[in-house]
Amino acid sequence: MQTIIDFFNYFSNNYSQILEYTVEHVQLVGLAIIISILIGVPLGIYLTTNEDLAGTVLQISSIMMTIPSIALFGIMIPILSTIGQGIGFLPALIALVLYSQLPIIRNTYTGINNVDPNIRDAAKGLGMTTMQRLLKVEIPNAMPLIMAGIRTATVLNIGIGAIAAYIGAGGLGSLINQGISRSNNTMVLVGAVVVSILAILVDYLLKYIEKRFTPKGIKN
Amino acid sequence: MIEFKNVSKVYNGGVKAIDNVNFKVENGEFVILIGPSGCGKTTLLRMVNQLEDISEGDIILNNTSVKQSNKIEMRRKIGYVIQSNGLFPNMTIEKNVMIVPDLLGWDRKKQQDRFNYLMELIGLHPDEYRKRYPHELSGGQQQRVGVARALAADPPVMLMDEPFGALDPIIRTKLQEEFLQIQKEVNKTILFVSHDIDEAVKMGDKVALLRGGKMMQYDYPSEILHHPANDFVSEFVGQDRVLKSTSLYSVKDLVDEVSLDSYHEADSAQPVNEDTSLRIVISKLLNQEADQLVVEDKQGNKKGKLTLELVEKFLHKEVKETPNR
Ligand SMILES: Nc1ncnc2c1ncn2[C@@H]1O[C@H](COP(=O)(O)OP(=O)(O)O)[C@@H](O)[C@H]1O
Ligand SMILES: [Mg+2]
Repeated sequence: MQTIIDFFNYFSNNYSQILEYTVEHVQLVGLAIIISILIGVPLGIYLTTNEDLAGTVLQISSIMMTIPSIALFGIMIPILSTIGQGIGFLPALIALVLYSQLPIIRNTYTGINNVDPNIRDAAKGLGMTTMQRLLKVEIPNAMPLIMAGIRTATVLNIGIGAIAAYIGAGGLGSLINQGISRSNNTMVLVGAVVVSILAILVDYLLKYIEKRFTPKGIKN
Repeated sequence: MIEFKNVSKVYNGGVKAIDNVNFKVENGEFVILIGPSGCGKTTLLRMVNQLEDISEGDIILNNTSVKQSNKIEMRRKIGYVIQSNGLFPNMTIEKNVMIVPDLLGWDRKKQQDRFNYLMELIGLHPDEYRKRYPHELSGGQQQRVGVARALAADPPVMLMDEPFGALDPIIRTKLQEEFLQIQKEVNKTILFVSHDIDEAVKMGDKVALLRGGKMMQYDYPSEILHHPANDFVSEFVGQDRVLKSTSLYSVKDLVDEVSLDSYHEADSAQPVNEDTSLRIVISKLLNQEADQLVVEDKQGNKKGKLTLELVEKFLHKEVKETPNR
């Protein structure tokens, strides 16, 4: 009971600080996802035309996923130190982008590859160029899978983004981080709960966007 | 006109799918490509619109080698219909049908008029279906829309790969008949793949029978049925080939060749009109209830009596002679 009271007390006393962390968190994850989409979706599409490379890239990105985030941050410190960016926003951003690649590339690749070959054949036979086929037929029909990949990556990034506070990237991880070093369980709890709520809300938002972006004819 | 000149196709891995095929489809002709599964029908069709490369030889489409043509532009001038309709699930029926006109940059008004015309042509109400999606249509309706889409930019040539193959027999028969009506109106040069000899005989001006990538016989349906070029053709068309050929003729064809028995008011006989196919006539005559039929013209004038003996006489004439039609 006391925990809950502490929780709400902390929450109301530090409202603006929490909001600030949340904004930082959203900025970090948001920027990472935008960059990830810009890299991952075109790459996933390109890989459908190059089966050999597809195998390699997908394998590398799944290995990427298995590296613990804390280790990845650790690896990047010395590398980015050479340009004076060893800690802070940049390494966190890079790590999040790397983690996002597997779900986004894989889902885009699978989504495009799974478009009914008859539909692709018809598109070709009717005289569409490769680009027209992609934009008018393949991407719209792969949309549900592409969006699912983006959603997975976003939720994943909200979680990993909390760890990025360890390398000074700010965000809601700072609450957890500080809470641990000050043995303040309430702070840790507030941080964890806000991260979870953020993840759930964003997931809902993305589900809504997914619905809007999915062409009407292919919903079931 | 589509002219196949010594066309061969070898797939990667060495399968010789088409082996030195030569034939011509004249303008406005409806040619059926037929043969057992795997004989190369689809391959031959897809070489015309260059969805497959030609390994050897050439295909001349309206005086131009398809190899030399710009593929994208050429395909927009060829209607293409496939068995699994290939409609785009993400587009409305209107968007689907108007895809080629849209690629060609037709204006909105012209597209709308064309859509309305085509939908009427295939027997679907334009406004009712305009905003629907393919999955909201039955298989037969989807296939009709597939035909409309292929006709959209009024291409002179149509390639159709078993367009009605996946439909149940009743719907298939209906669509075959509808399509024959449509062809009367649009008069396209058509290459149509089928594996059903009845469909081939019923629909085609000519039939091209393939086996193992080689052309076995290319001729009028009546010739394929009455004068099979070899044992394979004979076996493929079936032992009932003469019976099959009866659907090629109408009562009128018979009346032109043999004279009917004279008709007396006292005779009891069922009436048939001149457009009735001989296949129906035979079926009626074999039916216990009528051993003779009375032929009526469009005005209902009784022209004479038709019996099995007369049908037999007519068929003998047709089968024995080699008409150069
Ligand atoms: N893409 C392909 N690669 C290799 N072989 C193929 C390919 N497509 C068809 N074939 C082979 O070519 C032959 C003819 O195939 P196809 O034209 O599809 O026949 P049909 O349409 O008459 O059933 C078959 O032996 C088939 O296995
Ligand atoms: Mg085939």
